[in-house]
Amino acid sequence: MAVSIAKQGYELGHGHDEEAHEEVIYQETRDMRLLGFVFFLCSDVVLFSSLIFAYIYMRTTVAPVWPPMMDGHQLPRLDTAFAAVNSVVLFGSGVTMHYALEGWKHANKRQFNWFMLFTIILGSGFLGGQAYEYAHAQIGGWSGSIFGASFFTLTGMHGFHVFVGVIYLIVLWWQTARTNLYNTHRYFGLTAGTLYWHFVDVIWVGLFFLFYLW
Amino acid sequence: MEGLAGAEKVIALIGAVVVAVFALISLKGEWPKTGLDDQVTKLLLGLMALGCVLVLLATTGVLPRGGA
Repeated sequence: MAVSIAKQGYELGHGHDEEAHEEVIYQETRDMRLLGFVFFLCSDVVLFSSLIFAYIYMRTTVAPVWPPMMDGHQLPRLDTAFAAVNSVVLFGSGVTMHYALEGWKHANKRQFNWFMLFTIILGSGFLGGQAYEYAHAQIGGWSGSIFGASFFTLTGMHGFHVFVGVIYLIVLWWQTARTNLYNTHRYFGLTAGTLYWHFVDVIWVGLFFLFYLW
Repeated sequence: MEGLAGAEKVIALIGAVVVAVFALISLKGEWPKTGLDDQVTKLLLGLMALGCVLVLLATTGVLPRGGA
């Protein structure tokens, strides 16, 4: 099936219809690339799951009280109000990314550009909030306590994903402005970028609950 | 600090409502679509709306932490 479609596309291309040829090849490879990208997201779920289960195990089994004791004193809880604001910033960026993609699909370049800009600003704002929280969290640093170790490892891993996501979105934005890689029919890179951004949002839902609400 | 925490809670509360509404509107728009990317998007948008609900519960003091 795959070979016949590719062959058909090749023949079309040879028949002076390069665009149709490229379209067939794109449609053929899009599903495979999408499946591969979903598998990549699944592998990231496994990565975060292993760290999350380690945290849950430590919290429920190893530490007698939570937050744990350090130097004879119980560590304070994290600032939920600030984290709630930061969470809304990240979730908001997920919505703006969705509307950016919708703008692209409907050939509304203005909507796409504005919402991409909002997404990048909100994503960067979330990273700034994380940096602020790291500087002010009184939980003993990375190696000072079991709380600090799990918090900085998990949120650090997530923050790294957000950072990569921001770079990814900037590259996508640049590609849409400077290249002809995407049009209203072919925009797999933008779809993948949107899925990735939603994914980092959803990981934060779990981390927000585990570290601030539990 | 208490005043600041109160302002943060109000901002988070309003923001969570706004984001949840737009997430649900987006989810409704995606609902009829059936592609793999559309299905994943539906799942992720739904979970994002759940995240907004968690923020709402935290800022209103329903959850154990009470948005402290």
